[in-house]
Amino acid sequence: MQKIIRGDVHIIQSITALCDGTGAVRHSVDSFSNAFYWFRLGTPRMLTQAAAVLRDAGARLCMATACNSRHLNEPMQEVCYHFEVSGILYNLTVSLNGEWPTVPSISPLFANADWHEREMMELYGVKVADHPNPQRLFLDEELDAGLLNKAVPLSIMMNGACTTDLWERILKDRENPE
Amino acid sequence: MNTAGSTFTMPLGPVHVALEEPVYFHLTVEGETIRHVSLTSGHVHRGMEAMATQRNLVQNTTLTERVCSLCSNSHSFTYCMAVENVLGITIPARARYLRVLAEEIKRVASHLFNTAIQAHIIGFKSLFMHTMEVREMMQDIKETVYGNRMHLASNCIGGVKCDVPGDLLDYILSMIDKIEPAVEEVRELYSTNSMVLARTKGLGLLPKEDALRLGVVGPVARGSGLRMDVRRDSPYAAYPELEFETIVDSGCCIHSRTKVRLHEIFESFKLIRQCCKRVPDGPTIASMRQIRDAEACARAEAPRGEVFYYIRTNGTDIPARLKWRAPSYMNWEALGIMMRDCKVADVALIANSIDPCVSCTER
Repeated sequence: MQKIIRGDVHIIQSITALCDGTGAVRHSVDSFSNAFYWFRLGTPRMLTQAAAVLRDAGARLCMATACNSRHLNEPMQEVCYHFEVSGILYNLTVSLNGEWPTVPSISPLFANADWHEREMMELYGVKVADHPNPQRLFLDEELDAGLLNKAVPLSIMMNGACTTDLWERILKDRENPE
Repeated sequence: MNTAGSTFTMPLGPVHVALEEPVYFHLTVEGETIRHVSLTSGHVHRGMEAMATQRNLVQNTTLTERVCSLCSNSHSFTYCMAVENVLGITIPARARYLRVLAEEIKRVASHLFNTAIQAHIIGFKSLFMHTMEVREMMQDIKETVYGNRMHLASNCIGGVKCDVPGDLLDYILSMIDKIEPAVEEVRELYSTNSMVLARTKGLGLLPKEDALRLGVVGPVARGSGLRMDVRRDSPYAAYPELEFETIVDSGCCIHSRTKVRLHEIFESFKLIRQCCKRVPDGPTIASMRQIRDAEACARAEAPRGEVFYYIRTNGTDIPARLKWRAPSYMNWEALGIMMRDCKVADVALIANSIDPCVSCTER
């Protein structure tokens, strides 16, 4: 028997129109029959329109996740926004463009996006255009960006004999002095 | 202290504002009255999201349980649900009930702790001590059943790590019978004592429209008249099969939030009793499945509100990304509204009313 997956038709149709490519829209259910919708937007510019559709439907922003398919300390490639409407989750993923990873701010639509966007700017290097309050969230304003990257982690120092990480790090720092 | 016209900027914190967790408030005050609030956090950022991508799925159960001490069970619970969603695991019926049992035991202890701290801030030491004594009985349950007083280490991917045998279920039921009248007494005191009411009723207001706009969660939202509870909105584990009420209060003040927590304790007692009586026999864990490239979310109702987890796997046992959002993260901004036009002396009491958790906000 086919399972009936709940969802708001207006939201699904409106956001589907902003997606392109095969597999850009899909849905899933967990083992308790809670529904999840996943949309991959065509460009980051579409985010404002998609967020406006959700705002008009009375959605609540639950979280925003900056993702990277490789390693966390490399530039972020995607941002996934998680919204909830009537117990159903709508996830919007936007792909970032290479060297200038920028998304438009959705704080004017969702007041609680403020912290999520400031965190993305501060901890994940994602640029958020037109953010109404682009201040640091966790780090003091006096600290230079990427300050901790200058330090060599203890775990790397301790493993000098069994990995090449420490030596590669020293060579990299020598090649690119501050 | 900086002066600008008739207002002053007053720093408060970073330690000992409500709990011994560091948050730095910048209060703009006019005399004794607060006109504007901004806050600086980040003192206990531990880089846990980066740590999660250096550990395998099983190790991350232990890591996520350490995000927060009071909501520890909710973090490992939601994390395990996210992993089960991404791998397509359905947990056994007995595990669903045992997960709810641990979660509700933690909720009672957490709500009693927050309520006790309120009495402490008010300066009502005997009520503080009494509430903590009642909470100690919940701690005894945790220690006897799970072996630990804070981190229960009960959840694991696919179910629960340890079964709770029948004699321990009977023990829990007998303890709840003892604790319930004691909590009833505490509830009565918080509802009628003139000193408590004078400091909490009508203070720290968060109107419903602001609660909605800021997306606050948990007892902060329900204390402002918003009927939201993940256990009911997106039922998980055994919650769809159990009877309980979502407590809502439209007072929008500190007292409303306290009332919501105290009433919720009785709903948790109902759930604990139902779990102990109805838990079906059978296995407590489902087997692991193959890890593919996939992504999933999970959310649950922790004592402070909705916990949200997102996981992305890449075919290995190390997650490509694990991100979570603790309930306090959504509630801090509401303090700016709650503290506006209040007295400086009420800052600690208002901060405590959101049941703040700094370490899980900053991860």
